Amino acid sequence: MQLDFVKRELTIKLVYYGPALSGKTTNLQALHAAADGETRGRLMSLDTKDDRTLFFDLLPLSYVDKSGLSVRLKVFTVPGQVIHGSTRRLVVQGADGVAFIADSRIGETDANAEAFVDLKDNLAAQGIALEKMPLIIQFNKRDLPEARSVDEIAEMARKGTEPVYLAVATRGEGVVESFIGLLHRTWHALDREHELGEKFGFDGDGFVGDMAKKLGNSSGLEDILRKAVAGRRKLSSTKIRVGGET
Amino acid sequence: MNDAFKSLSDLTLAERYDLDEILDQASLAEMASSFEELFGVSLRIYGTSGRLLADTRRVPTLYGFLDRHLPGRLAVQKVIDRVRRAAPQPGSPERVGCISGGTYLARALVYDGRVRGRAILGPILDPEITAPPSELLEAAHGLPATELEEHFKKLPRLAPLEVERIAQHLESTLAVLTFSGLKAHLASNLHLESVKENFRELSEQNDKLKAAHDRLKELDRLKSNFLATVSHELRTPLTSIIGYSEMLLEGIAGDINQDQREFVETIHNKGEQLLGLIKTLLDLSKLESGTMSLRKDMMSCGDLVLDVVATLAPTAKKKGVKLQARVTDGVPELYADSARLRQVLLNLTENAIKFTPAGGEVTIAAQAGFMPQGDTGGAGAVLMGAARRPAVVLSVADTGIGIGVEDRDRVFDAFYQVDSSSTREAGGTGLGLSIVKRLVEAHDGLIDIASNQPSGTVFLVTLPSKRPPQ
Repeated sequence: MQLDFVKRELTIKLVYYGPALSGKTTNLQALHAAADGETRGRLMSLDTKDDRTLFFDLLPLSYVDKSGLSVRLKVFTVPGQVIHGSTRRLVVQGADGVAFIADSRIGETDANAEAFVDLKDNLAAQGIALEKMPLIIQFNKRDLPEARSVDEIAEMARKGTEPVYLAVATRGEGVVESFIGLLHRTWHALDREHELGEKFGFDGDGFVGDMAKKLGNSSGLEDILRKAVAGRRKLSSTKIRVGGET
Repeated sequence: MNDAFKSLSDLTLAERYDLDEILDQASLAEMASSFEELFGVSLRIYGTSGRLLADTRRVPTLYGFLDRHLPGRLAVQKVIDRVRRAAPQPGSPERVGCISGGTYLARALVYDGRVRGRAILGPILDPEITAPPSELLEAAHGLPATELEEHFKKLPRLAPLEVERIAQHLESTLAVLTFSGLKAHLASNLHLESVKENFRELSEQNDKLKAAHDRLKELDRLKSNFLATVSHELRTPLTSIIGYSEMLLEGIAGDINQDQREFVETIHNKGEQLLGLIKTLLDLSKLESGTMSLRKDMMSCGDLVLDVVATLAPTAKKKGVKLQARVTDGVPELYADSARLRQVLLNLTENAIKFTPAGGEVTIAAQAGFMPQGDTGGAGAVLMGAARRPAVVLSVADTGIGIGVEDRDRVFDAFYQVDSSSTREAGGTGLGLSIVKRLVEAHDGLIDIASNQPSGTVFLVTLPSKRPPQ
């Protein structure tokens, strides 16, 4: 996160992580397609070869609140292939929130787990515990025949603390919900640490809700967050505890 | 956190790039001039720092005309100053009036919500203005009126709506250029950072490997030390065993009967055998630790070969192997430790006899030769040729089972035997060749294995024929 008090400008970095070919870039492309012209910047795909990301993709999104605070979101993807470890480490550096894009296919279970351990290691290398990082998990490719069943995912997700979303990124399904879920978590984590809402008279949930509208989803923040198959309850309880502290 | 991480964070988030960092100036200048050619409008592009990035360099001829006298020059200078000071904001372009009655249009160049510079178009005259304004007439007062008219006519004329369209086109063109430039900038920087990060990772691993390597070397040294100490400690009591059994045999402690003599002889022989083995181990550890001292002197290889043949003739005869020596004329003398070289030759010959079946033959030879020079056939051969050093080549050839190419390097490893089952049959500890190799190397020589025709092995020992140090 970068905060410019003079310009009243907040820059947030979000990173889409996950195994190779799980659909990180497709998520960004779908977000870019969903966003209105004023909100979205140019989607930059850096060095791709055979449809595979070698460095990263970057989607800039911007938002100006009625309080005058301008929020700039930088959404990155990392290259998923194992050999690009150093690039992944560089891109994830300074991330404020991470969306982990998993492949729903049962055969990809190991690849998902490996990439998750890689994320944990790369965060640890920067002295960040994975548990402290705002995180959501998206199970992508729901349309493929070998996909793990929703019940099974929900069952497994209940053991974790992070919200889990389902998506078919190629059709744009679940992409905005996942993103809003991530933005919501990230905002609250940043707000808790820096008291941004108080300092700027900024309505965080209002901002996240507005972003959803700008991404073409007008069903309301609560409804969107309810799309998560698990992890929602824990998030709310965290919020309440934080409310008690301040 | 290391520097690589920090700089990438700057790279992807800070966005403090100025246009001049991102755009290639030569390409930008080219774009600007083609823009002018297409629309007939002069164009200047500035970065945020105020640096001029592109300029079509076509000044209205009117300015040159006015420059001829002071009032005109001052009037033009005033316009230029005003244009330079123009500070347009995003969404609100600034128009600066020109002495010609035309206008300069200054627009902020915005990329990703940030002002990155400004573009100035003009001067452009509204087609409705047909006659020079009074301000211009005043500035040109005293200059030829017909010329003024001519220069005034040459000024570019465009309707305001058209100008707006051109400006927008310029902005979107620049946005595309900026995007591509930024992309290339990020890609090359990230590439650099990845390389740095990879380098850091590899360096770390190298350090670890080096530490492991040093540790292994240290362990190896400890092993050699241990071997030396143990060998030494074993020798002391063994000397007593051999000595006292010898005294018993000599009858110093009184007469012994035939059975007792046989037993004591066995004790004595086995003691000697054990002592030989311990000496070998001690030699190996000395050679490994580099503490073996050589007693060098001038020596004849011919004598050495004949001596070894004489020594081993009984062994060969017993096995039914023909042992012969072949010493050619002109073999130079060596400056070497003759006892150690004798050990080398004895060992090789013993081995050869051991692995040669009855009816076969073993030949020991000494001849003059040169030290091999490695791979110097190509470049610099003329220089390297001068360094050819004379040498003595000692060879031991047998007609035995032979050694496969893949085993030829490993036979010199301590305790290695090509076929461990043959140890039982042929005997030996597997230390002999390892010591031979080290002794040869201690003499700056080389040892090599070749095939004997039609069967068997040739061990070649090449020793440089050096002079004793003066």
